[in-house]
Amino acid sequence: MLDPFFIWLETTALSVWVREATEVYAFPSILSLHTIGMGFVAGMSAAMNLRILGVAAFVPLMEFKRFFPVLWAGFWLNAVSGVVLLIGYPTKALTNPMFYLKLVFIGLGILCLRSIRKSVFSDEDLDFQAVPRRGRLWAGASLACWTGAIFAGRLLAYTYSKLTTI
Amino acid sequence: MHEFQAWLWSTLGSIHIVRPFMTSAWGWPICESLHFVGLSMLIGCVGTFDLRLVGMAKRVPIAAMHRLIPWGIAGFVINVITGSMFLVTAPDQYIYNPSFHFKILFMIIAGINVAVFYLAAFGQVKTLGSGVQAPLFARVIGGASLFLWTGVIVFGRMLTFYRPNPCNGEPEGFLSVCLK
Repeated sequence: MLDPFFIWLETTALSVWVREATEVYAFPSILSLHTIGMGFVAGMSAAMNLRILGVAAFVPLMEFKRFFPVLWAGFWLNAVSGVVLLIGYPTKALTNPMFYLKLVFIGLGILCLRSIRKSVFSDEDLDFQAVPRRGRLWAGASLACWTGAIFAGRLLAYTYSKLTTI
Repeated sequence: MHEFQAWLWSTLGSIHIVRPFMTSAWGWPICESLHFVGLSMLIGCVGTFDLRLVGMAKRVPIAAMHRLIPWGIAGFVINVITGSMFLVTAPDQYIYNPSFHFKILFMIIAGINVAVFYLAAFGQVKTLGSGVQAPLFARVIGGASLFLWTGVIVFGRMLTFYRPNPCNGEPEGFLSVCLK
């Protein structure tokens, strides 16, 4: 059903370039950027979530707001590099249920971040006080979501059924 | 170094304990996933500390931020374990891979950077409280740490694209990058 779409996309110049360019700045670099972005978005969230859960309790929690731009830079780096990879291999990703599972984990991960921003970082009193249960639940859920996204993403290389349609 | 590489290959190749697991359907993929989780813990927790050293979030006392470091070390340990499992399962794919050589080089420099930090800077910066900028020396170490670990990620990611091919004649150079 989606075959005409896949064929159209896979014959675009960008898609062909992602798949076939042999230069090191092509596919390998896009993958590297995607991994660096992952480290920053999943890793910085993890550091923040650990703080919410009580690790490094003498770090003024509100200061973690300053790391949000770094975290979001990692996220957008991955959104862009991820879309480029998707343009290169649309059939491979979109015919693999694992890819949708990865997107669900990422979506829930973002939802957790937004909820933490709202329920935890809106309360300046939490700088040194224990975070209420609700915020801690979001932090735990966030850790689980990013771990899930990493696993699902890594397993994409092993679970696809079809590489290209053309 | 070529003899050393050959020795390493045969020595690591003789370790069979993890092979049945690593060659099972899900062994390698699970270890790779854990390797990426460890990577994120390292970059997230050590990177956050590095950014404080460099000058971000200065309201955080250095000693307070340092409590995140054990979690970064935990990530590193996960990666040493999973990385060793890859290495002993397919030693030739790493020992003769130029990207792996650079990955190890960057890890060694990153290790020296850590040693320099704890020997020459930590004693001075651990007492720095809220709102105090770290001295230039420590800021440079923090920046170097971010750069080096990012480099380790890049060379790790590049491993796939620099897999060694069979040698065409005698291997040349300081380290061999082909399979004899």
